[in-house]
Amino acid sequence: MSIEINDVSKRFGDFVALEDINVSLPTGQLTALLGPSGGGKSTLLRIIAGLEKADSGSVNIEGVDATRMSPQKRNVGFVFQHYAVFKHMTVAKNVAFGLEIRSHGGLRPAWTPRGRDERERIQARVDELLKLVHLSQFADRLPSQLSGGQRQRMALARALAVQPKVLLLDEPFGALDAKVRKELREWLRRLHDEVQVTTVFVTHDQEEAMEVADEIVVINDGRIEQVGTPDSLYDEPANDFVMDFLGEVTQLGDLRLRPHDIEIGLSPDLAGSTAADILRLTRVGFEVRAVAGTEEGQEVSVLTTRAHARALGLEEGARVWLTPASGAATVPAMRSVLVG
Amino acid sequence: MVELTAPVKWTVRLAAVGYVFLLVGWPVVTLVQHAFAGGLDSFRAAFADPDVSHSLVVTVEISLWAVAINTVFGVGMALLLVRHEFPGKRLLSAFIDLPMSMSPVVIGLALLLVYNGRDGWFGPTLEAHGLVVIFNSPGMIMATCFVALPLVVREVIPVLEEVGDDQEQAARSLGANAAQVLRRITLPAIKWAVVYGVVLTLARSLGEFGALKIVSGNLTGQTQTAPLVVEQKYNNFAQGEAYAVSFVLVLISVLCILVVSLLRPKESQP
Repeated sequence: MSIEINDVSKRFGDFVALEDINVSLPTGQLTALLGPSGGGKSTLLRIIAGLEKADSGSVNIEGVDATRMSPQKRNVGFVFQHYAVFKHMTVAKNVAFGLEIRSHGGLRPAWTPRGRDERERIQARVDELLKLVHLSQFADRLPSQLSGGQRQRMALARALAVQPKVLLLDEPFGALDAKVRKELREWLRRLHDEVQVTTVFVTHDQEEAMEVADEIVVINDGRIEQVGTPDSLYDEPANDFVMDFLGEVTQLGDLRLRPHDIEIGLSPDLAGSTAADILRLTRVGFEVRAVAGTEEGQEVSVLTTRAHARALGLEEGARVWLTPASGAATVPAMRSVLVG
Repeated sequence: MVELTAPVKWTVRLAAVGYVFLLVGWPVVTLVQHAFAGGLDSFRAAFADPDVSHSLVVTVEISLWAVAINTVFGVGMALLLVRHEFPGKRLLSAFIDLPMSMSPVVIGLALLLVYNGRDGWFGPTLEAHGLVVIFNSPGMIMATCFVALPLVVREVIPVLEEVGDDQEQAARSLGANAAQVLRRITLPAIKWAVVYGVVLTLARSLGEFGALKIVSGNLTGQTQTAPLVVEQKYNNFAQGEAYAVSFVLVLISVLCILVVSLLRPKESQP
């Protein structure tokens, strides 16, 4: 286990940001800290980086107790939501920063043989990293001449330059537009497979977490709601909150479940089916969303494919029978109960 | 933006230009005219007097010390006020603005009370250790620092707030220690604010009169500064020389502003 968080708590005045957090983040994996804004996930990330101090508890990185270590000693790469580029330095200088600091603070003059060697070594490493993030042709530009996505890739190269034990990303794509976000997260996944550094990133976008992460830690109200792979979280949500946060939820009778986990039939031949009338039908691309009203007055949303809807001849006002699909992830309504 | 009709627009412009001209332009132009009224005679007369050239040297020396000290402490205090939370922060912030609202003469008197060698609160102790503050350079530097205290701080604070501490945190996570962060990240980011603050401080220090008149003792040929010489010459009916020295002071101020305005536009380019 690479990062061990034990009993970490943190308050800002009266506000409890984190309460007794215990979690292990595995080595070499890509872990997402997922949760709504203000839930404490960024605070946890900043505590791992040493940018914030926990009120109590300990942080262990790769077997070293880092609780009281300053950020510059932790050997952790950090990427900020708003890039935190060094505005007055070129792209190459930004990436070289950590390396220069490490080679005697960059103070050894270039004209000494050792200084020249070091400079060449740094130069080679910077070239390699810029190639990795596809910014080679921008090496001599200033960050202000780059787009948001390019700046964030540069910030990533800068963090990776010092070969950190852990790479931490705080809402890395939060400030980018939807298309660039999508491109960058696919790229981050590929980069991670290439570089294999233990990576933790914070996001409030469940789709981003599901698509990119090996493991997801759901954090809400300063507490951990559930830890697991994207599939296990989606299929076996530990409680209402996780279920709600990871995707659309509707209610059928006493069960909460996903709209696509409800089967529609034209006759009551399945056990436990509920009669309902279709109130509205909306077609979104290949999907059809139906809202059906049961006899108790419950409005249930159901998601099905266009082909299936056509085969059944669904139309507004039609009488249908709704059944939870077998193996569907369900949570009893109005209560938080552990399922998995 | 409100659209103004042509006559209104011209009236407003004329009023603005007229106001600045009557208040600043005309008096300064007249001063320069008077300084050169007899060709360079006034200047020759003034600089023939060793006390005058000495006063200019004293002024420059005191100002440079004050600028150096206020720059270091100004940047330090701005960092303290923006980047750290501590009890008494608002009080410190208020104290830094105090010199702006205090008459320099009062500042001089206050320093005199604390540091004079006979019955001052702290002066006798210092003099016992061989450091004469009042009627001497240390007191004059202190008075100038006091008067110009807010200038660097107030220039740097808004820039520090705007830049934020993201870059500093990034640098720390990349392994930089406090000194490296300051030298390689913070100082380059606030460079222009510091330069501007330094120039304002220099201009203010060169022209300081009230506080220095009290703490220097106005000893001709020793602690007398250029603005004090201007007053003395004027009172002694040597107006020509007074104007000549004034012109030198104006010239230095104009040069300061010129240097900054020549350097500053580069900043807006990416």
